[in-house]
Amino acid sequence: MSIAADPQTRTVALIGNPNTGKSTVFGALSGVQQRVGNYPGVTVEKKTGRMTVDGKRWTLIDLPGTYSLAPRSLDEMVAVDVMLGRRPDTPKPDVILCIVDANNLERNLYLVSQVLELGRPTVVALTMTDLAEERGTTLDLSKLRDRLGVPIVPIRAHKRIGLDALKTALAETATQEQPSSAPESPFPEPFQAEVARIEGWLADARPGLPPLPRYLVERLLLDTNGYLEGHVALKNGNVEGLHAEILASRQRLAEAGCPVPAVEAMARYGWAATMLDEVVTRPDEPRVTSGDRVDRVLTHRVWGTLIFVAVMAMIFQAVFTWAIPLMDLIDAGVGGLATLVEGVMAEGALRSLIIDGVIAGVGGVIVFLPQIFILFFFLGILEDCGYLARAAYLMDRLMTRLGLSGKSFIPLLSSFACAIPGVMATRVIEDRRDRMTTILVAPLMSCSARLPVYTLLIAAFIPPVALAGFVSLQAITMVAMYAVGVITAAGVAWALKKTAFKGPTPPFVMELPAYKWPSPRVVLHRMFERGWSFIRRAGTIIFAVSIVMWALLYFPRLPESTEAAFTQQIAALEAQREAAAETEAAEEIDAQIAAVEARADGEQKRSSLLGRAGRVIEPVVRPLGWDWRIGAAAIASFPAREVVVATLGVIFDIGSDVEGEEGASRLQVALREAEHRDGRPLFTIPVALSVMVFFALCAQCVSTLAVIRRETNSWGWPLFCFAYMTILAYIAAMLVYQVGTWIAA
Amino acid sequence: MSSVAELPSSIAELIPLTLLRPGQSGTVDQVLGTGDLVHRLREMGLRRGAMVEMIRPGSPCMIRLDGHTLGIRSAELSGILVRPA
Repeated sequence: MSIAADPQTRTVALIGNPNTGKSTVFGALSGVQQRVGNYPGVTVEKKTGRMTVDGKRWTLIDLPGTYSLAPRSLDEMVAVDVMLGRRPDTPKPDVILCIVDANNLERNLYLVSQVLELGRPTVVALTMTDLAEERGTTLDLSKLRDRLGVPIVPIRAHKRIGLDALKTALAETATQEQPSSAPESPFPEPFQAEVARIEGWLADARPGLPPLPRYLVERLLLDTNGYLEGHVALKNGNVEGLHAEILASRQRLAEAGCPVPAVEAMARYGWAATMLDEVVTRPDEPRVTSGDRVDRVLTHRVWGTLIFVAVMAMIFQAVFTWAIPLMDLIDAGVGGLATLVEGVMAEGALRSLIIDGVIAGVGGVIVFLPQIFILFFFLGILEDCGYLARAAYLMDRLMTRLGLSGKSFIPLLSSFACAIPGVMATRVIEDRRDRMTTILVAPLMSCSARLPVYTLLIAAFIPPVALAGFVSLQAITMVAMYAVGVITAAGVAWALKKTAFKGPTPPFVMELPAYKWPSPRVVLHRMFERGWSFIRRAGTIIFAVSIVMWALLYFPRLPESTEAAFTQQIAALEAQREAAAETEAAEEIDAQIAAVEARADGEQKRSSLLGRAGRVIEPVVRPLGWDWRIGAAAIASFPAREVVVATLGVIFDIGSDVEGEEGASRLQVALREAEHRDGRPLFTIPVALSVMVFFALCAQCVSTLAVIRRETNSWGWPLFCFAYMTILAYIAAMLVYQVGTWIAA
Repeated sequence: MSSVAELPSSIAELIPLTLLRPGQSGTVDQVLGTGDLVHRLREMGLRRGAMVEMIRPGSPCMIRLDGHTLGIRSAELSGILVRPA
């Protein structure tokens, strides 16, 4: 990155336990100047920001929240490597800012002890001091400062208290001379001796290579899962025999009463206890805070669940009722722009590209924004006030049955509005396997874009009868479509956890943070950050695909003779229209003109590359009860599945304007009257159901695939997702058609 | 070195953490289980000598540890033996 090249820029890396308010500190320091990306080769998010202190520019790097710097995987190695300056893509931090929760100093100091051992200039920011006061805890900070030997700055980031002091401390620490000797080790003598031995062995085995930082040598001894050993071995050729050395060291340590890995917890908590002796004073009886009383209700199995269902229902109500007018407004704006362009540009390929490719493509991206913003606004409030963790706690029991955890519930629920925010919300899931599984099944939840497809086909083909006198068959069909998605997702999640994402589950622990009033700044910030992230990351891909689909529907043009025939018909009708002037006949002629135009459009689409592709794949879709027209519409709806309704309109000569009552009902009539070449009706109830089931399960949404690519940092997963969903959709649609036809016969 | 390692312990008084009643507290004595799981639990603060209060039993159960509320699956806590207060 270019920032590394600028010697005037200083760098600070933020590290801390989960739920210490690290993101809030990061946001408060960097303001809106943030960049979110990915570290190459891993699924870890790379979040950087900028700030200015006394005219000097600073780069902030936010590292993932963690209890411990014990790298057990490639993902966990990132934080350690960044802090030690071992990643070529990230500048070596001048200062490490350790965010520490004042309410849980013992555990937070465990991480501080590891950070101090890295031997880098460090500043500690103390958060949630207000809550500590409420609980009656007092802290002797000057004593702790003297013992740790690093600046400790109490802050309240969401109220912007203490930020200036923190910036000053960072600036002062960055300019100080680095300590010449390695920091004091909290480990007992025998352990330090073994670390020195391994250091010596590595120096002999890797001549000419820079020595491994002491912290990493300690980890070689401590981390029994062998990840780091493999990591070191991979990078530096000749370390054969290292494993034997390590085993021998561990054996000697066990005999000396320092068993690995228990020695680490003993040493670090022992160190923390020494640091905190006479620093923390707590009331004898822990005070029951208002949060505890609230929790008794909100996490109650019955009352808590009921409240949860009500909260979610309210959010979804808001997402749908508030977003729809905004989405209509965007639709109208996009339509208005298209009309404007239509008026000022001459007819031809360029105008079509701009209207049907560019404007429609951009419109397809921004139309999702209201839902994404509203959903993330409410989720932001719930997250910031501490409720989201309780929801995950309540839902864990249910999700465990699928091999997932409670943290997967909100992302999956969000996917009923739109899979894009759902996939983005999986960032809260720390476990990589759980997160990947959740991402891969999220698109199976019936999102709001499937609704137009269901509505059209149900209204056209499912008889409006009531079962048992009151339950509408149409409503049951709608519910069944949602159920198909949920049940399939459950099956796929279960299968993925048994195969691709098999492995020991790390202990499932979630912090239930103290309740607090949500900070508007934090909530709005998160909402915009996620919204922009969607536009930037997904927008370009959606845009590109829209242009490709436009070209497939636009080329090749109709032969001139055919075009001329339509142009003549229209010219003749327009002449009649002139003559008829304002009479009633004029309206009828207008309708005729529209019909001819729709026919010409339909003819063009049928002979386009996509129309031809539809014919080519007809044998493939015949087992689903489809003909080439439905096949072509399904291909055309690859960018976004709701497009299928407009495409059906074009192919069945209604024109693409099928919005509104009249257009939709004309399309319903056209679908009901459509016939196979031999005169059989094209759509029967089994065919309509087969189309609906296909759209319930298929991955026809390039935006979702683009977001999956962005979140998994690979093209492989979106491709896998598309492949498995398409195969499932095909098989399910075929089953529905074949079984349905067999029952009907 | 920590002095908590030398706490006197008589196994008979110990019960699994998951058996604490709502509102009952205990001091963690033994942490049993596979190396990695035990290490992770320790990193999160479930170490010998830590005070734990059961808030809501079951799976996941809600416990209070060092002033923080945690939700943890019971299966993972079965190896944690506490001395009830």
